[in-house]
Amino acid sequence: MVSRLERLLNLTAALLTTTRPLTRDEIYERVPGYPVDDAKGSARRAFERDKESLREMGIPVETEEVPFTEPPLEGYRIPRDQYALRDPGLEPDELAALHLAAAAVRIEGLRGTEALWKLGGLPAKADDALAAIPTIPQLVPLFVAVGGRRPVSFTYRGERRSVDPHRLSFTRGRWYLDGYDHDRGAARQFRLDRLEGDVALGEPDSFERPAEHANEALPPWQMGDEAPLEARVRIDADLAGWGVDHLGPEAVRARHPDGSVEVVLTVTNRDAFRSFVLGFLDHAEVLGPPELRHDLVTWLTNLAADQSPSHVVTAR
Amino acid sequence: MARPSAPDRLRRLLALVPWVVAHDGPTLEEVCARFGLTQDELVSELDLVFLCGVHPFTPDSLIDVSVADGRVWIRYADYLERPLRLTPDEGLALVAAGAAVLAVPGADPHGPLARGLAKLADVLGVDPAVDLDVTLGTAPAGVLESLQEAVSAGRAVEIDYYTYGRDQRTRRVVEPHSVFGAEGHWYLEAWCHLAEAERRFRLDRIGSLTVLDRAALDPGPAAPPPEERPPRGQATSTSHAGVRRVFEPRPDDPRVVLDLEPRARWVAEQYPLERLEERDGGRCRVVLVVSERAWLERLLLRLGPAASVVEGADGVAAAAASRILAAYRPAPRR
Repeated sequence: MVSRLERLLNLTAALLTTTRPLTRDEIYERVPGYPVDDAKGSARRAFERDKESLREMGIPVETEEVPFTEPPLEGYRIPRDQYALRDPGLEPDELAALHLAAAAVRIEGLRGTEALWKLGGLPAKADDALAAIPTIPQLVPLFVAVGGRRPVSFTYRGERRSVDPHRLSFTRGRWYLDGYDHDRGAARQFRLDRLEGDVALGEPDSFERPAEHANEALPPWQMGDEAPLEARVRIDADLAGWGVDHLGPEAVRARHPDGSVEVVLTVTNRDAFRSFVLGFLDHAEVLGPPELRHDLVTWLTNLAADQSPSHVVTAR
Repeated sequence: MARPSAPDRLRRLLALVPWVVAHDGPTLEEVCARFGLTQDELVSELDLVFLCGVHPFTPDSLIDVSVADGRVWIRYADYLERPLRLTPDEGLALVAAGAAVLAVPGADPHGPLARGLAKLADVLGVDPAVDLDVTLGTAPAGVLESLQEAVSAGRAVEIDYYTYGRDQRTRRVVEPHSVFGAEGHWYLEAWCHLAEAERRFRLDRIGSLTVLDRAALDPGPAAPPPEERPPRGQATSTSHAGVRRVFEPRPDDPRVVLDLEPRARWVAEQYPLERLEERDGGRCRVVLVVSERAWLERLLLRLGPAASVVEGADGVAAAAASRILAAYRPAPRR
């Protein structure tokens, strides 16, 4: 009895060494372990399953027409140049550093260990992970698209969008995609957990890789299409340090003797701006412009007057 | 542990065989360590490789495996001399991990990791400087490095900490155990003398920090640390071996019942819920575990009319709104 692993390894060897595509019958003959090809198609089923397994692990099993067959027969082979990993030429210290990084940062659901095996494995045992990064299923195809400069289309908040993907970023615990949105005719940022369904990939090298840029994910109050407003916010001494760390020193317009700071933010999403300011509770005050200050006062006034419907007591 | 599937074992073999082929008789021990196998497992995999090869399976067309004096040689497998190319998810796993570590304050931008990452990215056809940006968390300048040094040197630390859930600032001396990133933030795990318990602190809420001139005390075996005033804004991470959960609800924490409009649905996705009930028209009723009033105030203030309190938080939003409004009357401060 030939084990499945043995059959898979022999199949890989047969398809890697052949100079022309092998037909299924030739494969059954050369690779031990396939059941007799009975009327139920047992051998065919076993082969299809093996082929799928090999492709799933990234082995390029090509389907080609076998030359000089009439009627034409399908044949299979693995082109060696496509199979092999190009040697990145890593020095031992570089491989060790990559290994430590992969051990320190766990990318959930991705095969970092297998990647290291292919590069030569490493004897070091991993310490406790320094950090974990969640992933979503669309991340890998988007990574392929960004690297290959392939346009993508996907459904985002119920709408189909066509995008030249420029950059993936992970920040504040979430993945984002920056790119050129063809439907909006402008650069846009997408939150990947709001993508619905599969990502469709277009042809490689369809656009120019953008120049290196250091921009981070936009803050929520800039993720909108509203006319930009320059908001001035005063943060009191208790939370001034935290606010400045969060917003960056370039947001600071003034520092006051009482320890409070005045910061300036560009707002294109008023709802998100209001949420941000409310996070400071009574440690922050919107100084201007008047419309933003008015928005917040109205919002708070309504809340201050509100009674939860289930608890309305009818006063007499 | 369950025995790996045939495809999983093949993945390993297609990396292991080329590595052994390329090295002149490495020790079994080293092969085991590199590829995560026990000696018995390795020997049984090698026994199997020995049976493999290409048609017609005459001795010269079989892969030759010889083991002697604790060393192993593999020959006649020239078609397996290169490892299988990296799949996109393997490439992403390494590049993202490398980019994340390089972005940690204090990383050497020209060190071995940066060089290795550049070579790997070249093979994969990606440019890590342009294509990918991974930030594990933010922390005030110097805080992460100081804490990492304090952990490795075993020093106690005094911190000025803003407790988000209670909206309070305190100074406390802590005995740091570890620093880790989860869900986009950096955390310090430490024994806290103020709380007299294990606590977790978010680094971006540490106002200032002094590494003390004394060794950290060993608090002994401790219960799993609760969050220092849990950041209720954090969803529990999916449990995964070795990955820490940021927030664990306590059984005696108060419960709040809210009715959410469809536009407030994100609350159900973002926060750990005790119960979720679907209602008409895309609305839902949720039961949240909330122990900190300031956290609840923020949530209700942000949600505004998109949420209504059913139970457990009467008047919380109205009181908080009135308190904040006090600053807006009668005129903006200069």
